[in-house]
Amino acid sequence: MTVTLKVSRAPGAALIWGRRLACFFKRLYAKPLSAIGTTISLIFLLIALAGPLIAPYGENEIVASDARQPPSTQHWFGTDNLGRDVFSRVVLGARQILVLSGLGAFLAVVSGAFLGLLSGYRGGWIDEGLMRFFDSLLALPALLLALVLLGTIGHSTFSVVLVIVIVYTPIVTRVVRSVVLSVKSKGFVEAARLQGESQARLLFREIFPFVLPALAVEAALRFSYAIFLVASLGFLGVGVQPPNPNWGLMVKEARNYVDQLPWALYFPAGAISIVIIGVNLTADGLKRAWQAAD
Amino acid sequence: MAMQPIVQADPAFISSDPEVLVANHVYDYLIDITADNTIAPRLAVDWDASDDGLLYVFTLAKGVTFHDGTPLTAADVVWTFDRLRDPDLGLPTKDLYSNIDRIEATGKLEVTFTLKEPNPFFLFDLSDNHALILKAGTTDAGTRFNGTGPFKVISYNPEDRIVLEANSNYFIPDQPKLAGLEFIFFPDQVAQVEALRGGQVDMVFLASSVELYSSLQGESGVMLVDVPTNQFDLVRLRADRPPGNDPKVIQALKLATDREAIYQLVVQGHGAIGRDSPIGPMYSQYYTEEFPVPERNVEAARQLLVAAGYADGLNLELHTPDTGNRPNLAQVLMAQWAEAGVNLELVVEPESVYYGDNGWLEVDLGITGWGSRPYPQFYLDTMLACDAVWNESHFCDAELDQYIQKAGTTMNEVARAAAYKEIQRILIERGPVIIPYFSAQFTAIRDSFQGFVIKPFWGRTDLRLVSVSGN
Repeated sequence: MTVTLKVSRAPGAALIWGRRLACFFKRLYAKPLSAIGTTISLIFLLIALAGPLIAPYGENEIVASDARQPPSTQHWFGTDNLGRDVFSRVVLGARQILVLSGLGAFLAVVSGAFLGLLSGYRGGWIDEGLMRFFDSLLALPALLLALVLLGTIGHSTFSVVLVIVIVYTPIVTRVVRSVVLSVKSKGFVEAARLQGESQARLLFREIFPFVLPALAVEAALRFSYAIFLVASLGFLGVGVQPPNPNWGLMVKEARNYVDQLPWALYFPAGAISIVIIGVNLTADGLKRAWQAAD
Repeated sequence: MAMQPIVQADPAFISSDPEVLVANHVYDYLIDITADNTIAPRLAVDWDASDDGLLYVFTLAKGVTFHDGTPLTAADVVWTFDRLRDPDLGLPTKDLYSNIDRIEATGKLEVTFTLKEPNPFFLFDLSDNHALILKAGTTDAGTRFNGTGPFKVISYNPEDRIVLEANSNYFIPDQPKLAGLEFIFFPDQVAQVEALRGGQVDMVFLASSVELYSSLQGESGVMLVDVPTNQFDLVRLRADRPPGNDPKVIQALKLATDREAIYQLVVQGHGAIGRDSPIGPMYSQYYTEEFPVPERNVEAARQLLVAAGYADGLNLELHTPDTGNRPNLAQVLMAQWAEAGVNLELVVEPESVYYGDNGWLEVDLGITGWGSRPYPQFYLDTMLACDAVWNESHFCDAELDQYIQKAGTTMNEVARAAAYKEIQRILIERGPVIIPYFSAQFTAIRDSFQGFVIKPFWGRTDLRLVSVSGN
């Protein structure tokens, strides 16, 4: 048994992971709400990946003769005041917003997990110092903190990602730390320590698996908040420059025309709402799936 | 009336439309400018100029009193203009009036100005936005409002509102028609429009915002007024360093620009299409369409860029303030120029950043908004002459300079028109700027009001003759 496993290790592992994933999706699709959420998230993921293939026009392609037209078979979501295809811009905007918020949320989760493990396990002055510092960051509303940071480090896509990381790392850290605190006094951790396992091994082999469910849910939640943050910053006109098809920026530009060109506002605004609802429902589903696994 | 908050109340420092609008109703100008850019009497009822153009004598209206009851005399006018031109005070008008040699009260109601050089635009200069007549010796113009104007200030709450009531002692009988004016401050334009819709205010200035204008179309009980102006957005390329120091580059940009499309998309067909010169159709006596603006030709533009050494495309940052139609213009230019191989990266900034630290004079490619002026010489002197203070394109052309100089000094109207014509020719041929359109200015007012005429510089709009019917 051990021999065969060693020989066909790679395919075996892939198989196991494949089964786990299938099982996981089965659980996600067990409840209708999380099924809907997951489907929405997957669709938007697909749009983000295949955007340029789906969009019939470029993000800043101006068809002057078609300006300010309502939705039609030619322009599914109508055109904006400058004659750009709203459907194409919404589709192309998906990649930007999902990549920015996805990358930001991922980095926040990684750094939050690391800091949370460290702070929860080590305790003492590291824990105390880190937590008080994060408390002070958390005292500020996320958007305000983001604006202050962007004002300081300058407006660019990189700084938007950095801002997401800075704004959300403290929250992830707290969640991870609380799980670590409840796990570290358990018998098996003590046992592993007495066996002389290294600190890194203790953290990642013994404690981390217990953190994982909460972390996965937190990751999905942070992702949805990050989407909201990127869209909000776009709406406020910081962090992204026109003609970027950032949905928030599109809402901002269309705001003045809401009476004449409502479609130019409602489609990107709808996209923001739907993707956030989708990701949130997925997060709920994830939570349930992990609980069922336990 | 809803408008942006005023910051400056002292006429010597006002600049924004709302500031000028308030001051223009609390104080009076010596002479005024009408909606069609001609000189009109206000406190001065009559004037005479000497043949050499150096001496101007003004006769003041009789029976004018300040709001505090003291009568207006020639001394007040002398004091006001001496203050505006005092080099030690450093007011914005110091340069404008540097050509004045002496100002004297030559009678109780007579003022004489002596100039150093003839100035064909002197009367326009006297009607500068800041040149509102104050009482001699005023020291608190920033906080107290002691004018001679048609309305008196009853209360002023910064950031909230300023309330004016009709001046019953106004020197022109039967004016003003309205019993009072209330200016309510709204920092946000969309909120101003909503206040009009909701009946909270009767009048909103929409500036050149086409979107707000069209959002009010069909709104019952609201009258929309649009007036052509000489306000324009200037796309300019620095001509003193690469890539702009090669004239082929600006030519290529001009050829890559589709003016008609910009006119339809950005200003939605209001105002007028520009011809790369600040002498717009509003100056009908100087404006000419004699010299054709080259048609859009993407292929020719591309070839010019290749010849200039940008076969692989030209990458440029386009800086623009985030106000007005400028961000839209920038996006349309980005799309149009991309076809010719010019790859723009837009940098849309708040005005405080764009103009801050004179950054707008430094950047290679920028879009700057220029307000409407009663005569065109101002733009040439401050923007296109070699030594112009705001020569943002860092352009210097001997032939152009010569015509600018000539147009600005000759007292001969025919010679001036001829010089302006040459200037328009040169700017189309080799000017460093693209002026794609002249904007219209929009105002929305409830239709129960009559007699409303807006001026190209909106703050100078005269509400003395506006009346209200019904209720």
